[in-house]
Amino acid sequence: MGKFLLLAFRNVFRNRRRTLMTLLMVGGGVAGLLLVGGFFAFMFRGLRESTINNGLGHLQIFTAEHFNRDEVRVLDTGIDNWRQVAATVKTGGHVRGVAPRIEFYGMLSNGVKSSVFMGSAVDPEAETSLGFSTRLANGRNLSSKPGDEVEALIGAGVARSMNVKVGDGLTLLAVTSDGALNGIDIQVVGIVRTGIKEMDDRYLRITLPSAQRLLQSDRVTNLVVGLDNTENTDMVAAELAPQLSGLPQKMVLKKWIDLAAYYNQVHTLFSAIFIFLGVIVFFMVLMSSVNTLLMAMFERTREIGTMLAMGTPRIWIVALFMVEATLTGILGAIVGVVGGNLLGALLNASDLHMPPPPGGTVDLPFRVLHQPSLMIGASILVVVSLALASILPAIRASRLEIAEALAHV
Amino acid sequence: MDERQELVNVKAVCRRFSLDDGQVRHVGHSFVNALDHISLRIAPREFLAISGPSGSGKSTLLNLIGCIDKPSEGSIHVDGVDTSTLQPAAMSALRRERIGFVFQTFNLIPVFTAEENVEYPLLIQKIGARERRRRVAEALDGVGLSARAHSRPDLLSGGERQRVAVARAIVHRPALVLADEPTANLDTKNATQLIALMRDLNLRLGLTFIFSTHDARLLEHTPRIVRLCDGQIESDTHPEGGSNG
Repeated sequence: MGKFLLLAFRNVFRNRRRTLMTLLMVGGGVAGLLLVGGFFAFMFRGLRESTINNGLGHLQIFTAEHFNRDEVRVLDTGIDNWRQVAATVKTGGHVRGVAPRIEFYGMLSNGVKSSVFMGSAVDPEAETSLGFSTRLANGRNLSSKPGDEVEALIGAGVARSMNVKVGDGLTLLAVTSDGALNGIDIQVVGIVRTGIKEMDDRYLRITLPSAQRLLQSDRVTNLVVGLDNTENTDMVAAELAPQLSGLPQKMVLKKWIDLAAYYNQVHTLFSAIFIFLGVIVFFMVLMSSVNTLLMAMFERTREIGTMLAMGTPRIWIVALFMVEATLTGILGAIVGVVGGNLLGALLNASDLHMPPPPGGTVDLPFRVLHQPSLMIGASILVVVSLALASILPAIRASRLEIAEALAHV
Repeated sequence: MDERQELVNVKAVCRRFSLDDGQVRHVGHSFVNALDHISLRIAPREFLAISGPSGSGKSTLLNLIGCIDKPSEGSIHVDGVDTSTLQPAAMSALRRERIGFVFQTFNLIPVFTAEENVEYPLLIQKIGARERRRRVAEALDGVGLSARAHSRPDLLSGGERQRVAVARAIVHRPALVLADEPTANLDTKNATQLIALMRDLNLRLGLTFIFSTHDARLLEHTPRIVRLCDGQIESDTHPEGGSNG
């Protein structure tokens, strides 16, 4: 077995120029996948963290009934003893903080015109401590210790349609827990541009006490949990689940990935693009390797004839070609992994930036993440591709007529 | 010759090759008779040359005896086995265990050293490493190439390469060694030395050698010469004891 592998290994290097070209081609494919995949991974990570830090948090706690709620009387299904739940969650490891929220709906009016809003009520201090940020286009954030006025942030689209600016007043109307219509006056302290027009046209944010006064309930709709590291999400979720199950209200724990619809859409789209690239690399390596291996087989016709004449089992010839191709694939993968990582490090060091995405105004930094799983995946892809590419030449070699092969010039 | 003493028995063998699409046709002469009803018996320990001009059928006969081709008609028994009835795998096993080959162009595996080339027939017989080492050393010593054991073929002279090929052909102790024009790519001195080496191995180890050549000078010390012409045996001569032809 050792000598057989030695023969295969030496055969890989018998035509060095051709082997070099094959290794460069295979390595180029692997390096390309690592660079593209590494950049995508960087984008995913950036999008993930910005999604979490824009207020989604790592985990969210809802009551089980929340998902069957009446969208008018949202606090009917809210968390009753949310302070106790938050305190319980805070005792867990890796938890940085818990922010209570009320997600609610209602009408905004400037006295002349009314508009529907999607509101969220927050504890500004808790939000700030978790690093959740709002993209203010104008004005300031909500104050954690407001005066008599009810402060509000509104979306840029709301401000435009209601014809208000920072400092102006509006009236909020919403249905209370009892089913009555209640209203409060608010003062716009900031205008937010989320980057999504549909959001900007409905966005409203007030403080938690203001919303509880409007909705006349002490409940909250959800608790947002911030962790020290996104990688700990699964572990903390597993730890929290049994603690939550012991509470009087039945709770549901959602991870950020379950709630990040936009992230999931982007991830799915770019993953499909990456798989498409992988398929192209796979077939590129496959087709060009078939040609190279057929040439190698043709050149070695007499040698194969000699081996067969000496009684080498035909399956050994098949195995020899497949092992040679697999070794070439492994070497090509090593070249690609080393080259791809070096190139990635070089690109990272060069501080390149991509043009802003549609609708964006800031250049995207071009960074390539070094992903071990991607290196393993791309390597397996090209090794399998080469092994498959060798099947046809290997079978042809094993089926050579010995007398004809020995007479081959 | 008593059949029990035969190593090779070629019985009325024909080998036809198509001239066009690979299919043998008996009508319209679209085939050529490389061998035409040849019969030949070879005893163990013989040292036999098959001689004749180019195209006389020497290589075809060796290919048939060596089980790397099948006759169109007739049968060939090697070491008591009717090779015409064997399946490909059994033919391969017979070649692996009972036959050694020496080729005109040496046909050494270029990426293997001399030692590894000689070891190859033992590898495919799955013989243990220690026994392989012992037999390879013995075979290389037998052909006088122990000192070049670690050289690759491209660093050996033509004569040395062919001696490595002979060592490779005898290392697994075959019943029969077939050499197709083994001296064709050697100068006269190396050719004479090679034939002398083969004869020495024949006498010393009792190996049966059948080789083809059209070089008359090499036949002077060959005890039995079978001359072919146009696919038929022209003569079967024993220079030391008369003629069968």
